[in-house]
Amino acid sequence: MSTSPRLHRVPPPGSPALRPRPLSRRDALRLGGLGAGASALLAACGSPPSSPVTSGAVDLGFWTHDEGYQTFFENGIPDAEAATDFRYSLDVTRAGAADLVTKLLAQAVAGRDTPDVIGIEIGQFPRLQRGDLAERLLYDWTDHVAALGDDLLQARRAPYTKDGKLYALDSDTPMVVYYLREDLFSQYGLPTDVGSWDEIAQVGAKAAADHDVALGVLASGSDLGQIVQGYEMLLRQRGGAFFDADEQLVLDSPEAVEVLQFAVDGLRSGFITTVNDFYGASVQAGLKSGRIAGMWMASWYSAFGLKPNVPEQSGAWRLRALPTWSGGGFATAAAGGTGFAVGVDQPETQAAADFVASTWITPEGQVRRFTELTYLPTLRSVFDSPELEVPDEYFGGQQVIDVYRGIVDDVPDYYQSPDSSILTDVLSGHLISAYRGDETPAQAIKGAIEDFTNQAGR
Amino acid sequence: MATQETLPAPTSTHTRPPRTRSTTATRAPYAFIAPFYVLFVLFMLVPILASVYLSLTSWVGLGTPEYVGLRNYGNLLTDSSFHKALVNTLIYVAVAVVVIVPVSLLLATALNARGLRARDAFRVVYFVPMVVSPIIVALIFSLVFDQNYGLANAALKAVFGVGSVDWLGQPTVAKVAISLVMLWRWSGYLTIFFLAGLQNVPKDLYEAASLDGAGWWRSFTSVTLPALKPVTAFVAVTSFISAAQIFDEPFLLTAGGPSDQTLSVAMFIYRAAFQRQQFGYAAAAGVVLFVVVFLVSQAFNRLLGIGRTK
Repeated sequence: MSTSPRLHRVPPPGSPALRPRPLSRRDALRLGGLGAGASALLAACGSPPSSPVTSGAVDLGFWTHDEGYQTFFENGIPDAEAATDFRYSLDVTRAGAADLVTKLLAQAVAGRDTPDVIGIEIGQFPRLQRGDLAERLLYDWTDHVAALGDDLLQARRAPYTKDGKLYALDSDTPMVVYYLREDLFSQYGLPTDVGSWDEIAQVGAKAAADHDVALGVLASGSDLGQIVQGYEMLLRQRGGAFFDADEQLVLDSPEAVEVLQFAVDGLRSGFITTVNDFYGASVQAGLKSGRIAGMWMASWYSAFGLKPNVPEQSGAWRLRALPTWSGGGFATAAAGGTGFAVGVDQPETQAAADFVASTWITPEGQVRRFTELTYLPTLRSVFDSPELEVPDEYFGGQQVIDVYRGIVDDVPDYYQSPDSSILTDVLSGHLISAYRGDETPAQAIKGAIEDFTNQAGR
Repeated sequence: MATQETLPAPTSTHTRPPRTRSTTATRAPYAFIAPFYVLFVLFMLVPILASVYLSLTSWVGLGTPEYVGLRNYGNLLTDSSFHKALVNTLIYVAVAVVVIVPVSLLLATALNARGLRARDAFRVVYFVPMVVSPIIVALIFSLVFDQNYGLANAALKAVFGVGSVDWLGQPTVAKVAISLVMLWRWSGYLTIFFLAGLQNVPKDLYEAASLDGAGWWRSFTSVTLPALKPVTAFVAVTSFISAAQIFDEPFLLTAGGPSDQTLSVAMFIYRAAFQRQQFGYAAAAGVVLFVVVFLVSQAFNRLLGIGRTK
């Protein structure tokens, strides 16, 4: 009755059963799969922290919605390399203005690469004002630009400021001016130098009655931002605003009602006409037919509205400062812009900040920006540069910088709020309602404030 | 020891516990359908549960969501914008189910008529709007509905002498404009389903009805409609679900304006999440939409007997 070794449940030490058996092909595949899976999981969990790049070659992730900005910054690489210890290259991503911010947030949530430099269209910045998004994602420029002092216009810091910190550097000082068809004004015997809005309204009403021509345009189509913008330009020049520096709504003002009353009266008299949007077929038809002989619009409208839509009217247009409000206000208002921001807490943050600073807010860079992109400087001193004195043939050889120099010291600050888009949604509807006569201007402003209060702060 | 001696000896160190054929046969089907359940859990169940959790928080899109209980749902109850979105969506649903589905059925009946020439060409023409990019649709119809220079007003002026309708700016008319685009876009697609159903109705039923003296209308109501009941039920439910989640048409044509008068619930959700960074609030609205669509769809299913055989 010997005990067979085959009956042992636990083999003795050193027995063949405890020796490592050779890996079968299936086991090897399993292990390989497990290893690959674990590696992928670890890689997905995050990459090891990198130390900040302080010099040498650096490839910046550059996100923008506009090819013009891409070209500008690519052309600025030599300047940036001359001013810093870095050798720059740009890895460009282009997407819609709203998509850029959405993608930025998605990348941040996923813990993936966020851009080193991102152009944030002004209407999208309020999304980053919500909570602490701006602080968590964007580099604080406040100290970096402190040396510039008041030369960096406060009016263009305000839109990208939250809690006193500056998170982006604007592309433009987009001052609102009055564009007019000099040939039509001359043909109809209309004065081009009227001083106040009241006067131009009178002149415009007569011109509309006699010649079926409008001297002002408001948007009333499906782009809610444009509907609000047409009104907002006048309101800000009058001294009103939507939000204050503390992001609080300040629409409840006599100026808001007064300006809306002015717009409604203008629509009734025919002095002002409406278009679906400021850039497409609707306004083009009005411009081409000569029904629109004047309009208030931001400085960039010459490049993005007039010249592309009616190139054949080159030489017929002029621009001048806005008429003034008898009740006071500013010489102009600002509308639009794109702030360039830098991603914070990344290895390339300092390199990116130096890159933007050495191309975007230097006098040379701002002159180049004006000549390449037609955007006005954000440094006050650059307005006096003789290099900006370029005749514009579209405006009959007029040196348009002369007009802007005359009003740049009286640009109101433009503050935004995380709830800016809510105001756009509700105010646009009430503006249209007032334009149609369904509400009085006072009712429209009151209704917009009530709707805003109902929806904000969720 | 006697017990030990009776134990079976392992034949090899690689030997596994014996597995019966029946166990393998029982598990195999589950293994085959496992991919579906894995994907279902990953891409359906987890997002739904995550949405429900998110709806109980306040979250700007980054960082840790702050738990707020049912506050988001409470806010929805008092949000006039959400109320408008609900009413508008109800209107879009009514248009889809009460107008577009019957129109599609009529189109299909016309296309199924005997002796119709170029039947395939008609089918393509009716189906094309469904495959055209929504962006193109929006561009075309924003030009058609332009108040000053649009085709619609020009046609009205030419025919009736009046033509200054604010198609996209006047609240009621804007809803009509969006409904017309829905009709244009969806009816051809739904027609295909009805046409397939019509071609499966036995011809002898029509012959029997004809022998009994039934006219076109009587044949339609007594033969065609009953025969098409399963298809109609399917089309009605899918139209309801699509209309309840409508986004493209109001977003591209009116952006929900004027004054939220064309805003849909899906747009409301998008706006809260991606324009206002209120993800918790958007999730709460999403949960409400999900629950409503789910319950009504179930009610439709039971009412119309979808999937049931007699």
